[in-house]
Amino acid sequence: MTEKKNYRIVLQPTHAELTAPAGTSLRDLLFEQGVEFPCGGQGRCRGCRVRVHEGTTEINAAQRERLSAQELANGWRLACQCSVVDNLVIELRQWDAAILADDTAFSFVPREGLGAAVDLGTTTLVAQLVNLATGKVMAVRTALNAQARYGADIMSRLQFATSGGGQATLNHLIRQQIAGLIRQLILLAKVPGSDLRDVVLVGNTVMHHLFCGIDVEPLSHYPFESKELDLQTFRARDLEWDLSDRSVIRFLPCLGGFVGSDILAGILATKLGESRELTGLMDLGTNGEIVVGNRERLFCASTAAGPAFEGARISMGMRAATGAISQAEVKNERLVCHVLGNAAPQGLCGSGLVDVVAAGLEMGAIQESGRLANGAKEWMLAPPVVLTQNDIRELQLAKAAIAAGARILLERSGTSFADLKELYLAGAFGNYIRHASAQRIGLINLPSERIAPAGNTALLGAKLAMFSLDGEDGSYTQLRHRIEHVALKADTNFQDIFVEELTFPSSNHVHS
Amino acid sequence: MSIFDDLQQAIIDGKSPLAKELTEKGLSEGLRPAEFFPNAIIPSMNEVGRRMRECEFFIPEVLIAARAARASTDILRPLLVGDEAVSSAGTVVCGTVKGDLHDIGKNIVAMMLESAGFEIVDLGVDVSPEKVVEAVRQHQANVVAMSALLTTTMVNMKAVIEALASAGLRDQVKVMVGGAPVTEAWARSIGADGYGKDASAAVETARSLLAA
Repeated sequence: MTEKKNYRIVLQPTHAELTAPAGTSLRDLLFEQGVEFPCGGQGRCRGCRVRVHEGTTEINAAQRERLSAQELANGWRLACQCSVVDNLVIELRQWDAAILADDTAFSFVPREGLGAAVDLGTTTLVAQLVNLATGKVMAVRTALNAQARYGADIMSRLQFATSGGGQATLNHLIRQQIAGLIRQLILLAKVPGSDLRDVVLVGNTVMHHLFCGIDVEPLSHYPFESKELDLQTFRARDLEWDLSDRSVIRFLPCLGGFVGSDILAGILATKLGESRELTGLMDLGTNGEIVVGNRERLFCASTAAGPAFEGARISMGMRAATGAISQAEVKNERLVCHVLGNAAPQGLCGSGLVDVVAAGLEMGAIQESGRLANGAKEWMLAPPVVLTQNDIRELQLAKAAIAAGARILLERSGTSFADLKELYLAGAFGNYIRHASAQRIGLINLPSERIAPAGNTALLGAKLAMFSLDGEDGSYTQLRHRIEHVALKADTNFQDIFVEELTFPSSNHVHS
Repeated sequence: MSIFDDLQQAIIDGKSPLAKELTEKGLSEGLRPAEFFPNAIIPSMNEVGRRMRECEFFIPEVLIAARAARASTDILRPLLVGDEAVSSAGTVVCGTVKGDLHDIGKNIVAMMLESAGFEIVDLGVDVSPEKVVEAVRQHQANVVAMSALLTTTMVNMKAVIEALASAGLRDQVKVMVGGAPVTEAWARSIGADGYGKDASAAVETARSLLAA
């Protein structure tokens, strides 16, 4: 085999330099840099458009449809439709415009200085540096949560925290890591660190407590409720951070149970609390969070989906990285898999798992009970990647937890899926998952056209909060009053509905 | 095919009304209630257990099969007389430990044990060590079976064993534990007598503990 030629790609405005072999799709390359693909990289939206300043890229039909002749002439492309065939200098529209894209309903008071928004996830961290005068994003960094070595999911993290001295270790670790990320942002943007005025952090209740140094013990057992959900405000010296003493660090308040400020931020970003109609927000991860409601009342809940959507506990599961089967579909009665990075298949990530099972149901390779047809123990997807019977069981457990949670929440609000005008799907998985597949496996009982990918709503909401903090302190008392947290773990019907949701819908049932 | 064969199939297929109908039919034809257990109920639940172990059956199939078995045993149990009624395989106190509300696995274990002839005292979920001690004393239990699904709550299994010891009951009962985060090594480390990898292992474990 001959070595593929490598090309150099420079990203603006961060000046980050990447190398990639010829043929690598820009989608895979930029996804790993934290760029989001709202339609899942299918060329259906304009969310991933980039401006190519140097180098050549191809223009295909999807791009001609979505971009004007003028835009194409000015170098605009859809990243998801391009692959690397030349050295490139690319300007990332997304980082530039995440806030301003919202200019219709959002107005902010420009002020001096810089702010940082941090989405503190159980698995991943995303931090952005924002110019408070213009709203422009100046740099972005992502990282895996350093606490993950002490437990991948929330419960094992809690177990570590509550057993001798673990909480202090996790607290120290995350404060250090975020300080490091902020330092990198300042370096990347080549700005004076003393200009940093505001840091706004969002995350689930466990992340909130671990960062702020609040005892997580009440969250480790039934009824999984902490009393200390409020906004936490720090000065740099409180955290031993090397920042100006004028800067204020805020961790936004939690909503109840495990539902934290990442979801509060999601409600701000999707304007759920301003809508007349019933809309919803779903963030699928190890913990699935769901919100439904309108401007009068909102209901939220979290449900432990387990790590299947992140590829964990799947025999050949992996994160969405090079070599992962990220999509699959049935073509001419055969399974066709898309592998990230145009590489040899190595494993299966969450979106791929959902697609593969949906395809299996269509092809009759998987029965509605979740059983592989003909008593098979595994299904060869793309050698050497197989899907085992147990992998399907893991997915069934995860999807049943989400589907049951959504059903109970809708019941509690006196509504049903049929009344839901639109469901926003947050997070990377929400961006990548094919909606038709999500519906096919019974994860989301809504037709594709009523599901809208919403990107990283936690980060967007944190940025919005940063600008409105001028008027208030960020405690969101009024809004939080209208949000009711529903404790699914305490709902006596949960287990029964969960069992009902374990099976896959029959093909004529997948609905309308 | 005999009625027992048909009943076994009905239970495995999870057909409750059919299981009920076949049980009534067998009784009207003169079969003795006690005969149903070794000839239909126990073998069918053994088969369900096997299919579960081999990933052939998942939680819904196991639950509907257990429900069908119960449709039959609900008719049979009140009819057991004298020796038949007391010749249960043993009395098991079961529950999900304190702080934990997951009961699907625990319910399957209870139903499996029940169809295998054990007397079940199900304490439900979020069960304190004191409640277990009280139930063991009151029902003269032979086995305590505990479940936990969270890494943060499985530590409470240890508390139950300690509570049994300080109540002076530890020597009278065998303790078996199970649940997703529980491992055999961990079961041993807290001083449990038995461990079941999944619900299908519960009957075997309980039997061997009482035989020992």
